[in-house]
Amino acid sequence: MLDALDKDLLKAVAGLEKIPKGAYNIRKNGKLLGRQTSANIKIETNDEGTGIVITIAPNTQNESVHIPVILSEAGLHDVVYNSFVVGENSDVTIIAGCGIHCGGDQKEGHEGVHKFTIHPNARMTYIEKHYAFGSGKGKRTLNPTTQVVLKENAHAEMILEQIGGVDIAKRINEATLDDGASLMIKENVLTESNQTAESHNEIRLNGKDCSANLIARSVLKGNSKQDFIAVMEARNKCYGHIECDAIIMDNATSDTIPSLKARHPDAELTHEASIGKIADDQLMKLMSLGLTYDEAVNRIIQGFLKAS
Amino acid sequence: MLTINNLSFIVENQEQNEKKTILDKFNYTFEHGKFYGITGPNGSGKTTLAKTIMGINNLTSGQIIFDGVDITQHSITDRSNAGITYSFQNPARFKGISFRQLLSIAAQTDDESTLMKIVARVGICSLDFLDKQVDSKLSGGEIKKIELATTIARNPKLAIYDEPDTGIDLWTIGPMIDLLKKEQKNHQTTTIVVSHNKNFLEAADVILILKKGQFVYEGDLDGAMPMLTDLSTCAAPDFCEGENDVRCFR
Repeated sequence: MLDALDKDLLKAVAGLEKIPKGAYNIRKNGKLLGRQTSANIKIETNDEGTGIVITIAPNTQNESVHIPVILSEAGLHDVVYNSFVVGENSDVTIIAGCGIHCGGDQKEGHEGVHKFTIHPNARMTYIEKHYAFGSGKGKRTLNPTTQVVLKENAHAEMILEQIGGVDIAKRINEATLDDGASLMIKENVLTESNQTAESHNEIRLNGKDCSANLIARSVLKGNSKQDFIAVMEARNKCYGHIECDAIIMDNATSDTIPSLKARHPDAELTHEASIGKIADDQLMKLMSLGLTYDEAVNRIIQGFLKAS
Repeated sequence: MLTINNLSFIVENQEQNEKKTILDKFNYTFEHGKFYGITGPNGSGKTTLAKTIMGINNLTSGQIIFDGVDITQHSITDRSNAGITYSFQNPARFKGISFRQLLSIAAQTDDESTLMKIVARVGICSLDFLDKQVDSKLSGGEIKKIELATTIARNPKLAIYDEPDTGIDLWTIGPMIDLLKKEQKNHQTTTIVVSHNKNFLEAADVILILKKGQFVYEGDLDGAMPMLTDLSTCAAPDFCEGENDVRCFR
Protein backbone atom coordinates (compact mmCIF):
# COMPACT_ATOMS: atom_id res chain seq x y z
CA MET A 1 0.00 0.00 0.00
CA LEU A 2 2.82 2.40 0.87
CA ASP A 3 5.96 2.34 -1.24
CA ALA A 4 9.38 3.50 0.00
CA LEU A 5 8.84 7.01 -1.37
CA ASP A 6 5.45 7.31 0.32
CA LYS A 7 7.02 6.23 3.61
CA ASP A 8 9.77 8.87 3.31
CA LEU A 9 7.21 11.59 2.65
CA LEU A 10 4.90 10.46 5.46
CA LYS A 11 7.78 10.33 7.89
CA ALA A 12 8.89 13.85 6.95
CA VAL A 13 5.52 15.56 7.14
CA ALA A 14 3.61 13.52 9.71
CA GLY A 15 6.28 11.63 11.66
CA LEU A 16 4.69 8.39 10.52
CA GLU A 17 6.75 5.24 10.00
CA LYS A 18 3.66 3.25 8.94
CA ILE A 19 -0.13 3.52 8.82
CA PRO A 20 -1.10 5.17 12.11
CA LYS A 21 -3.36 3.81 14.80
CA GLY A 22 -6.61 5.65 15.37
CA ALA A 23 -8.30 7.93 12.87
CA TYR A 24 -6.53 8.87 9.66
CA ASN A 25 -7.08 9.94 6.09
CA ILE A 26 -4.15 9.62 3.72
CA ARG A 27 -4.39 11.22 0.29
CA LYS A 28 -1.95 10.35 -2.46
CA ASN A 29 -1.79 12.04 -5.86
CA GLY A 30 -5.30 13.46 -5.52
CA LYS A 31 -6.92 10.18 -4.48
CA LEU A 32 -7.80 8.53 -1.22
CA LEU A 33 -5.11 6.07 -0.18
CA GLY A 34 -6.59 5.04 3.13
CA ARG A 35 -9.11 6.13 5.76
CA GLN A 36 -9.89 5.02 9.28
CA THR A 37 -12.44 6.53 11.62
CA SER A 38 -12.76 6.00 15.36
CA ALA A 39 -15.64 6.00 17.82
CA ASN A 40 -15.22 9.73 18.39
CA ILE A 41 -13.69 10.93 15.15
CA LYS A 42 -15.73 10.75 11.97
CA ILE A 43 -14.16 11.39 8.54
CA GLU A 44 -16.40 11.79 5.51
CA THR A 45 -15.98 13.04 1.98
CA ASN A 46 -17.70 16.40 1.61
CA ASP A 47 -20.82 16.86 -0.50
CA GLU A 48 -18.87 18.36 -3.40
CA GLY A 49 -16.31 15.57 -3.38
CA THR A 50 -13.52 18.12 -3.07
CA GLY A 51 -12.25 17.19 0.38
CA ILE A 52 -13.19 15.76 3.74
CA VAL A 53 -15.19 16.74 6.79
CA ILE A 54 -13.70 15.65 10.09
CA THR A 55 -16.11 15.74 12.99
CA ILE A 56 -14.80 15.25 16.48
CA ALA A 57 -17.47 14.37 19.01
CA PRO A 58 -17.92 16.53 22.12
CA ASN A 59 -15.85 15.46 25.16
CA THR A 60 -13.34 13.50 23.08
CA GLN A 61 -10.13 13.46 25.08
CA ASN A 62 -6.51 12.90 24.06
CA GLU A 63 -7.20 11.50 20.61
CA SER A 64 -5.40 12.32 17.41
CA VAL A 65 -6.12 12.24 13.72
CA HIS A 66 -3.58 12.14 10.89
CA ILE A 67 -4.50 13.62 7.49
CA PRO A 68 -1.30 13.76 5.42
CA VAL A 69 -1.17 14.40 1.69
CA ILE A 70 1.58 13.03 -0.51
CA LEU A 71 2.32 13.90 -4.11
CA SER A 72 4.69 12.13 -6.45
CA GLU A 73 2.90 12.39 -9.80
CA ALA A 74 4.46 14.78 -12.27
CA GLY A 75 2.27 17.66 -13.39
CA LEU A 76 -0.37 17.19 -10.70
CA HIS A 77 -1.79 20.18 -8.87
CA ASP A 78 -4.00 18.88 -6.10
CA VAL A 79 -6.61 21.13 -4.43
CA VAL A 80 -8.61 20.05 -1.36
CA TYR A 81 -11.19 21.70 0.87
CA ASN A 82 -11.24 20.15 4.33
CA SER A 83 -13.48 21.09 7.25
CA PHE A 84 -12.85 20.31 10.90
CA VAL A 85 -15.50 20.48 13.58
CA VAL A 86 -14.06 20.06 17.07
CA GLY A 87 -16.80 19.32 19.60
CA GLU A 88 -17.28 21.01 22.97
CA ASN A 89 -14.89 20.12 25.80
CA SER A 90 -12.74 17.93 23.58
CA ASP A 91 -8.94 17.86 23.51
CA VAL A 92 -7.46 16.59 20.24
CA THR A 93 -4.39 16.70 18.05
CA ILE A 94 -4.64 16.95 14.28
CA ILE A 95 -1.53 16.17 12.27
CA ALA A 96 -1.69 17.37 8.68
CA GLY A 97 1.04 18.13 6.21
CA CYS A 98 2.00 17.71 2.62
CA GLY A 99 5.02 16.01 1.16
CA ILE A 100 5.97 16.36 -2.50
CA HIS A 101 8.47 14.26 -4.39
CA CYS A 102 9.37 15.74 -7.72
CA GLY A 103 11.29 13.50 -10.07
CA GLY A 104 10.71 15.27 -13.37
CA ASP A 105 10.55 18.66 -15.01
CA GLN A 106 6.82 19.20 -14.61
CA LYS A 107 5.57 21.27 -11.72
CA GLU A 108 3.69 19.71 -8.82
CA GLY A 109 1.58 21.43 -6.23
CA HIS A 110 -0.96 21.20 -3.48
CA GLU A 111 -3.49 23.67 -2.16
CA GLY A 112 -5.19 22.74 1.06
CA VAL A 113 -7.97 24.95 2.38
CA HIS A 114 -8.65 23.97 5.99
CA LYS A 115 -11.61 25.40 7.87
CA PHE A 116 -11.80 24.81 11.61
CA THR A 117 -14.67 25.38 13.98
CA ILE A 118 -13.52 24.87 17.57
CA HIS A 119 -16.55 24.67 19.84
CA PRO A 120 -16.70 26.07 23.40
CA ASN A 121 -14.07 24.85 25.87
CA ALA A 122 -12.43 22.60 23.28
CA ARG A 123 -8.69 22.40 22.79
CA MET A 124 -7.03 21.60 19.50
CA THR A 125 -3.38 21.17 18.59
CA TYR A 126 -2.83 21.33 14.85
CA ILE A 127 0.52 20.40 13.34
CA GLU A 128 1.15 21.00 9.65
CA LYS A 129 4.49 20.33 7.99
CA HIS A 130 5.36 20.96 4.38
CA TYR A 131 8.31 19.34 2.72
CA ALA A 132 9.45 18.65 -0.83
CA PHE A 133 12.36 16.79 -2.31
CA GLY A 134 13.50 15.01 -5.45
CA SER A 135 15.97 15.55 -8.26
CA GLY A 136 13.39 16.91 -10.72
CA LYS A 137 13.49 20.52 -11.86
CA GLY A 138 9.72 21.01 -11.78
CA LYS A 139 8.54 23.71 -9.39
CA ARG A 140 6.99 22.48 -6.18
CA THR A 141 4.19 24.69 -4.96
CA LEU A 142 2.33 24.56 -1.67
CA ASN A 143 -0.41 27.06 -0.93
CA PRO A 144 -2.09 26.27 2.38
CA THR A 145 -5.00 28.22 3.83
CA THR A 146 -6.22 27.84 7.39
CA GLN A 147 -9.41 29.51 8.59
CA VAL A 148 -10.14 29.11 12.27
CA VAL A 149 -13.20 30.07 14.27
CA LEU A 150 -12.68 29.77 18.01
CA LYS A 151 -15.88 29.76 20.08
CA GLU A 152 -16.11 30.76 23.76
CA ASN A 153 -13.09 29.64 25.81
CA ALA A 154 -11.83 27.42 23.01
CA HIS A 155 -8.08 27.09 22.55
CA ALA A 156 -6.01 26.25 19.52
CA GLU A 157 -2.29 25.82 19.11
CA MET A 158 -1.17 25.65 15.50
CA ILE A 159 2.34 24.64 14.51
CA LEU A 160 2.96 25.39 10.85
CA GLU A 161 6.27 24.36 9.34
CA GLN A 162 7.80 24.54 5.91
CA ILE A 163 10.96 22.56 6.37
CA GLY A 164 12.58 22.70 2.96
CA GLY A 165 12.38 22.02 -0.73
CA VAL A 166 9.26 24.05 -1.50
CA ASP A 167 9.84 26.44 -4.42
CA ILE A 168 6.76 28.61 -4.10
CA ALA A 169 4.51 28.92 -1.08
CA LYS A 170 1.67 31.25 -0.34
CA ARG A 171 0.12 30.72 3.05
CA ILE A 172 -3.02 32.36 4.36
CA ASN A 173 -3.94 32.11 8.05
CA GLU A 174 -7.20 33.62 9.25
CA ALA A 175 -8.66 33.37 12.73
CA THR A 176 -11.63 34.77 14.62
CA LEU A 177 -11.82 34.55 18.40
CA ASP A 178 -14.88 34.75 20.63
CA ASP A 179 -15.01 35.51 24.38
CA GLY A 180 -12.21 33.89 26.38
CA ALA A 181 -10.77 32.04 23.39
CA SER A 182 -7.04 31.75 22.92
CA LEU A 183 -4.87 31.05 19.92
CA MET A 184 -1.19 30.33 19.52
CA ILE A 185 0.26 30.16 16.02
CA LYS A 186 3.88 29.12 15.59
CA GLU A 187 5.11 29.37 12.04
CA ASN A 188 8.57 28.25 10.94
CA VAL A 189 9.71 28.66 7.36
CA LEU A 190 13.04 27.78 5.78
CA THR A 191 13.74 28.87 2.21
CA GLU A 192 16.86 28.55 0.10
CA SER A 193 18.17 28.99 -3.46
CA ASN A 194 15.46 30.87 -5.45
CA GLN A 195 12.47 29.82 -3.35
CA THR A 196 9.77 32.28 -2.36
CA ALA A 197 7.36 32.11 0.55
CA GLU A 198 4.55 34.44 1.51
CA SER A 199 2.61 34.31 4.74
CA HIS A 200 -0.53 36.41 5.09
CA ASN A 201 -2.13 36.41 8.53
CA GLU A 202 -5.30 38.06 9.70
CA ILE A 203 -6.45 37.57 13.27
CA ARG A 204 -9.65 39.14 14.58
CA LEU A 205 -9.95 39.37 18.33
CA ASN A 206 -13.69 39.82 18.70
CA GLY A 207 -14.37 38.35 22.14
CA LYS A 208 -13.88 39.75 25.60
CA ASP A 209 -10.69 38.47 27.26
CA CYS A 210 -9.61 36.50 24.23
CA SER A 211 -5.92 36.33 23.37
CA ALA A 212 -3.70 35.48 20.42
CA ASN A 213 0.02 34.95 19.97
CA LEU A 214 1.51 34.75 16.52
CA ILE A 215 5.15 33.74 16.54
CA ALA A 216 6.93 33.46 13.22
CA ARG A 217 10.52 32.42 12.61
CA SER A 218 12.07 32.57 9.17
CA VAL A 219 15.42 31.46 7.87
CA LEU A 220 16.36 32.61 4.39
CA LYS A 221 19.35 31.31 2.47
CA GLY A 222 20.67 31.77 -1.06
CA ASN A 223 18.56 34.11 -3.18
CA SER A 224 15.30 33.19 -1.49
CA LYS A 225 12.63 35.69 -0.53
CA GLN A 226 10.01 35.70 2.17
CA ASP A 227 7.17 38.09 2.90
CA PHE A 228 5.43 37.98 6.25
CA ILE A 229 2.32 40.09 6.66
CA ALA A 230 0.33 39.92 9.87
CA VAL A 231 -2.71 41.96 10.85
CA MET A 232 -4.14 41.66 14.33
CA GLU A 233 -7.38 43.51 14.95
CA ALA A 234 -8.81 43.88 18.45
CA ARG A 235 -12.52 44.62 18.86
CA ASN A 236 -12.82 43.99 22.59
CA LYS A 237 -10.86 43.92 25.83
CA CYS A 238 -8.28 41.38 24.77
CA TYR A 239 -4.57 40.67 24.32
CA GLY A 240 -2.66 40.08 21.13
CA HIS A 241 1.02 39.70 20.31
CA ILE A 242 2.93 39.29 17.07
CA GLU A 243 6.55 38.20 17.12
CA CYS A 244 8.38 37.76 13.85
CA ASP A 245 12.08 37.12 13.58
CA ALA A 246 14.08 36.35 10.49
CA ILE A 247 17.65 35.24 9.94
CA ILE A 248 18.87 36.23 6.50
CA MET A 249 21.92 34.72 4.86
CA ASP A 250 23.70 35.11 1.52
CA ASN A 251 21.57 37.33 -0.80
CA ALA A 252 18.17 36.51 0.64
CA THR A 253 15.57 39.22 1.20
CA SER A 254 12.77 39.51 3.70
CA ASP A 255 9.78 41.83 4.10
CA THR A 256 8.11 41.75 7.49
CA ILE A 257 4.98 43.79 8.03
CA PRO A 258 3.22 43.42 11.36
CA SER A 259 0.10 45.51 11.78
CA LEU A 260 -1.89 46.13 14.96
CA LYS A 261 -5.37 47.57 14.91
CA ALA A 262 -6.99 48.50 18.19
CA ARG A 263 -10.75 49.06 17.90
CA HIS A 264 -11.45 48.99 21.62
CA PRO A 265 -9.99 51.13 24.43
CA ASP A 266 -9.05 48.10 26.54
CA ALA A 267 -7.29 46.28 23.76
CA GLU A 268 -3.66 45.43 24.46
CA LEU A 269 -1.62 44.69 21.38
CA THR A 270 2.14 44.33 21.03
CA HIS A 271 4.59 43.27 18.39
CA GLU A 272 8.27 42.70 18.05
CA ALA A 273 10.12 42.05 14.84
CA SER A 274 13.73 41.54 13.89
CA ILE A 275 15.58 40.73 10.70
CA GLY A 276 19.30 40.16 10.58
CA LYS A 277 22.22 37.89 10.09
CA ILE A 278 23.25 35.37 12.72
CA ALA A 279 24.81 37.33 15.55
CA ASP A 280 28.60 37.11 15.68
CA ASP A 281 28.61 36.54 19.42
CA GLN A 282 26.48 33.42 18.97
CA LEU A 283 28.83 32.03 16.32
CA MET A 284 31.91 32.88 18.40
CA LYS A 285 30.46 31.20 21.47
CA LEU A 286 29.67 27.94 19.70
CA MET A 287 33.02 27.93 17.91
CA SER A 288 34.74 28.49 21.24
CA LEU A 289 33.01 25.28 22.34
CA GLY A 290 34.63 23.38 19.47
CA LEU A 291 32.07 23.61 16.65
CA THR A 292 33.21 24.62 13.18
CA TYR A 293 31.69 27.72 11.59
CA ASP A 294 29.25 25.64 9.51
CA GLU A 295 28.27 23.48 12.48
CA ALA A 296 27.66 26.59 14.55
CA VAL A 297 25.45 28.12 11.82
CA ASN A 298 23.39 24.93 11.53
CA ARG A 299 23.01 24.62 15.28
CA ILE A 300 21.80 28.21 15.61
CA ILE A 301 19.30 27.80 12.75
CA GLN A 302 17.97 24.52 14.18
CA GLY A 303 17.39 26.14 17.53
CA PHE A 304 15.91 29.29 16.04
CA LEU A 305 13.32 27.40 14.02
CA LYS A 306 12.35 25.31 17.04
CA ALA A 307 12.23 28.26 19.41
CA SER A 308 8.83 29.52 18.45
CA MET B 1 52.48 26.97 27.96
CA LEU B 2 51.30 30.13 26.22
CA THR B 3 53.84 32.49 24.76
CA ILE B 4 52.91 35.74 23.12
CA ASN B 5 55.54 37.36 20.93
CA ASN B 6 55.42 40.94 19.69
CA LEU B 7 51.64 40.92 19.54
CA SER B 8 50.07 44.10 18.19
CA PHE B 9 46.40 44.80 17.76
CA ILE B 10 45.57 47.97 15.88
CA VAL B 11 42.07 49.14 15.08
CA GLU B 12 41.49 51.19 11.95
CA ASN B 13 38.78 53.79 11.80
CA GLN B 14 38.38 54.11 8.03
CA GLU B 15 35.88 56.97 8.21
CA GLN B 16 38.26 59.18 10.14
CA ASN B 17 41.37 57.60 8.63
CA GLU B 18 42.73 56.94 12.09
CA LYS B 19 44.52 54.02 13.66
CA LYS B 20 44.36 53.15 17.33
CA THR B 21 46.84 50.79 18.93
CA ILE B 22 45.21 48.60 21.60
CA LEU B 23 48.08 46.14 22.15
CA ASP B 24 51.56 47.31 21.29
CA LYS B 25 54.28 44.72 20.56
CA PHE B 26 53.09 42.76 23.53
CA ASN B 27 55.28 39.95 24.94
CA TYR B 28 54.49 37.54 27.75
CA THR B 29 54.69 33.87 28.70
CA PHE B 30 51.96 32.29 30.81
CA GLU B 31 53.23 29.27 32.73
CA HIS B 32 51.47 25.95 32.98
CA GLY B 33 49.06 25.52 35.88
CA LYS B 34 49.28 29.05 37.25
CA PHE B 35 46.39 31.35 38.10
CA TYR B 36 46.77 34.81 36.59
CA GLY B 37 44.71 37.84 37.51
CA ILE B 38 44.75 40.54 34.83
CA THR B 39 43.48 43.97 35.76
CA GLY B 40 43.86 47.50 34.53
CA PRO B 41 41.91 50.64 33.70
CA ASN B 42 38.94 50.54 31.34
CA GLY B 43 40.11 50.50 27.76
CA SER B 44 43.57 49.23 28.59
CA GLY B 45 43.20 46.18 26.30
CA LYS B 46 42.32 43.36 28.74
CA THR B 47 39.39 41.93 26.79
CA THR B 48 41.20 42.52 23.50
CA LEU B 49 44.13 40.45 24.76
CA ALA B 50 41.85 37.67 25.99
CA LYS B 51 39.90 37.55 22.72
CA THR B 52 43.09 37.60 20.68
CA ILE B 53 44.38 34.55 22.53
CA MET B 54 41.09 32.76 21.75
CA GLY B 55 41.25 33.83 18.08
CA ILE B 56 38.11 35.96 18.26
CA ASN B 57 40.18 39.05 17.45
CA ASN B 58 42.59 38.78 14.56
CA LEU B 59 45.92 40.19 15.63
CA THR B 60 47.63 42.78 13.46
CA SER B 61 51.09 41.30 13.91
CA GLY B 62 52.91 38.95 16.23
CA GLN B 63 52.85 35.30 17.18
CA ILE B 64 51.02 33.09 19.68
CA ILE B 65 52.58 29.77 20.72
CA PHE B 66 50.43 27.31 22.69
CA ASP B 67 51.98 24.11 24.03
CA GLY B 68 54.83 24.50 21.58
CA VAL B 69 52.54 24.93 18.55
CA ASP B 70 52.25 28.17 16.61
CA ILE B 71 48.49 28.83 16.70
CA THR B 72 48.66 32.36 15.30
CA GLN B 73 46.70 31.39 12.19
CA HIS B 74 44.45 28.85 13.89
CA SER B 75 40.67 29.34 13.97
CA ILE B 76 38.63 29.70 17.14
CA THR B 77 37.48 26.10 16.66
CA ASP B 78 41.02 24.78 16.34
CA ARG B 79 42.16 26.72 19.41
CA SER B 80 39.20 25.38 21.35
CA ASN B 81 40.00 21.82 20.32
CA ALA B 82 43.63 22.41 21.28
CA GLY B 83 42.49 23.17 24.84
CA ILE B 84 41.84 26.91 25.06
CA THR B 85 38.49 28.15 26.28
CA TYR B 86 37.20 31.66 26.70
CA SER B 87 34.40 32.67 29.02
CA PHE B 88 32.75 35.74 27.51
CA GLN B 89 32.29 38.97 29.46
CA ASN B 90 28.89 39.39 27.79
CA PRO B 91 27.74 35.88 26.93
CA ALA B 92 25.66 35.28 23.82
CA ARG B 93 21.96 34.55 24.17
CA PHE B 94 20.20 32.18 21.81
CA LYS B 95 16.65 31.58 20.71
CA GLY B 96 16.00 27.87 20.93
CA ILE B 97 19.11 26.55 22.66
CA SER B 98 18.89 25.31 26.23
CA PHE B 99 21.64 25.13 28.83
CA ARG B 100 21.54 21.33 28.46
CA GLN B 101 22.19 21.64 24.72
CA LEU B 102 24.99 24.15 25.21
CA LEU B 103 26.56 21.93 27.84
CA SER B 104 26.24 18.91 25.51
CA ILE B 105 28.07 20.80 22.78
CA ALA B 106 30.80 21.83 25.23
CA ALA B 107 31.19 18.34 26.74
CA GLN B 108 30.70 16.63 23.35
CA THR B 109 28.15 14.25 24.83
CA ASP B 110 24.46 14.28 25.64
CA ASP B 111 24.84 11.52 28.21
CA GLU B 112 22.66 12.56 31.12
CA SER B 113 24.93 11.26 33.88
CA THR B 114 27.96 13.03 32.38
CA LEU B 115 26.06 16.31 32.18
CA MET B 116 24.88 15.87 35.77
CA LYS B 117 28.47 15.32 36.89
CA ILE B 118 29.54 18.54 35.20
CA VAL B 119 26.71 20.47 36.85
CA ALA B 120 27.69 18.95 40.20
CA ARG B 121 31.35 19.77 39.53
CA VAL B 122 30.53 23.37 38.77
CA GLY B 123 28.28 23.48 41.81
CA ILE B 124 26.97 26.99 41.33
CA CYS B 125 24.31 25.89 38.84
CA SER B 126 21.31 24.01 40.19
CA LEU B 127 19.94 21.02 38.28
CA ASP B 128 16.81 22.90 37.29
CA PHE B 129 19.07 25.17 35.25
CA LEU B 130 19.61 22.40 32.71
CA ASP B 131 16.41 22.90 30.77
CA LYS B 132 16.45 26.67 30.87
CA GLN B 133 16.64 28.40 27.53
CA VAL B 134 19.81 30.45 27.12
CA ASP B 135 17.81 33.43 25.92
CA SER B 136 17.05 36.98 26.90
CA LYS B 137 14.84 35.87 29.78
CA LEU B 138 17.87 34.80 31.83
CA SER B 139 19.20 37.25 34.38
CA GLY B 140 22.73 38.58 34.03
CA GLY B 141 23.89 36.37 36.88
CA GLU B 142 22.23 33.23 35.53
CA ILE B 143 23.82 33.53 32.12
CA LYS B 144 27.26 34.10 33.65
CA LYS B 145 26.89 30.89 35.66
CA ILE B 146 25.97 29.02 32.48
CA GLU B 147 28.95 30.59 30.73
CA LEU B 148 31.23 29.39 33.50
CA ALA B 149 29.79 25.86 33.38
CA THR B 150 30.23 25.55 29.60
CA THR B 151 33.82 26.74 29.95
CA ILE B 152 34.63 24.15 32.59
CA ALA B 153 32.79 21.43 30.63
CA ARG B 154 35.48 21.76 27.96
CA ASN B 155 38.14 20.51 30.43
CA PRO B 156 40.43 23.23 29.12
CA LYS B 157 44.20 23.33 29.48
CA LEU B 158 43.93 27.12 29.40
CA ALA B 159 40.78 28.80 30.70
CA ILE B 160 40.28 32.52 30.21
CA TYR B 161 37.52 34.15 32.24
CA ASP B 162 36.60 37.66 31.20
CA GLU B 163 35.07 39.47 34.18
CA PRO B 164 33.33 36.33 35.49
CA ASP B 165 31.66 38.16 38.37
CA THR B 166 29.57 40.53 36.22
CA GLY B 167 25.99 40.24 37.47
CA ILE B 168 26.92 37.59 40.04
CA ASP B 169 25.49 38.03 43.53
CA LEU B 170 27.81 38.49 46.51
CA TRP B 171 27.00 35.03 47.85
CA THR B 172 28.21 33.32 44.67
CA ILE B 173 31.50 35.13 44.16
CA GLY B 174 33.26 33.18 46.94
CA PRO B 175 32.14 29.75 45.66
CA MET B 176 33.01 30.83 42.12
CA ILE B 177 36.57 31.67 43.13
CA ASP B 178 36.81 28.39 45.05
CA LEU B 179 35.65 26.59 41.91
CA LEU B 180 38.29 28.18 39.69
CA LYS B 181 40.99 27.39 42.28
CA LYS B 182 39.76 23.79 42.52
CA GLU B 183 39.85 23.45 38.73
CA GLN B 184 43.37 24.85 38.73
CA LYS B 185 44.48 22.42 41.43
CA ASN B 186 42.65 19.26 40.30
CA HIS B 187 43.10 19.63 36.55
CA GLN B 188 46.23 21.81 36.43
CA THR B 189 44.22 24.31 34.42
CA THR B 190 46.19 27.37 33.51
CA THR B 191 43.75 30.08 34.52
CA ILE B 192 43.55 33.69 33.38
CA VAL B 193 40.94 35.86 35.03
CA VAL B 194 40.30 39.37 33.76
CA SER B 195 38.75 41.21 36.67
CA HIS B 196 38.45 44.38 38.67
CA ASN B 197 37.29 42.41 41.69
CA LYS B 198 39.82 42.26 44.51
CA ASN B 199 38.53 38.82 45.60
CA PHE B 200 39.57 37.30 42.27
CA LEU B 201 42.91 39.10 42.35
CA GLU B 202 43.56 37.75 45.86
CA ALA B 203 43.10 34.22 44.49
CA ALA B 204 45.65 34.72 41.73
CA ASP B 205 49.23 33.46 41.85
CA VAL B 206 50.34 36.31 39.63
CA ILE B 207 48.81 39.76 39.19
CA LEU B 208 49.30 41.47 35.86
CA ILE B 209 48.35 45.11 35.41
CA LEU B 210 47.69 46.14 31.84
CA LYS B 211 47.94 49.76 30.83
CA LYS B 212 48.03 51.23 27.35
CA GLY B 213 48.51 47.82 25.77
CA GLN B 214 51.42 46.70 27.94
CA PHE B 215 51.82 44.88 31.24
CA VAL B 216 53.17 47.51 33.63
CA TYR B 217 53.23 45.21 36.65
CA GLU B 218 53.81 41.50 37.27
CA GLY B 219 53.89 40.15 40.79
CA ASP B 220 51.79 39.50 43.88
CA LEU B 221 48.80 41.47 45.04
CA ASP B 222 50.63 43.25 47.85
CA GLY B 223 53.10 44.65 45.35
CA ALA B 224 50.28 45.68 43.05
CA MET B 225 48.33 47.54 45.71
CA PRO B 226 50.14 50.87 45.40
CA MET B 227 49.22 50.99 41.71
CA LEU B 228 45.69 49.71 42.25
CA THR B 229 44.99 52.36 44.88
CA ASP B 230 46.74 55.17 43.05
CA LEU B 231 43.99 57.63 42.23
CA SER B 232 46.25 59.48 39.86
CA THR B 233 45.78 56.61 37.40
CA CYS B 234 43.27 57.87 34.95
CA ALA B 235 40.57 55.36 34.06
CA ALA B 236 39.36 57.32 31.08
CA PRO B 237 42.47 58.43 29.21
CA ASP B 238 40.74 58.41 25.84
CA PHE B 239 38.47 61.32 26.52
CA CYS B 240 39.70 62.83 29.79
CA GLU B 241 40.81 66.42 29.38
CA GLY B 242 42.52 66.66 32.73
CA GLU B 243 41.52 66.99 36.34
CA ASN B 244 39.87 70.33 35.74
CA ASP B 245 37.59 68.79 33.14
CA VAL B 246 34.00 68.69 34.45
CA ARG B 247 33.77 65.11 33.24
CA CYS B 248 36.71 63.90 35.33
CA PHE B 249 35.60 60.89 37.38
CA ARG B 250 38.24 61.21 40.10
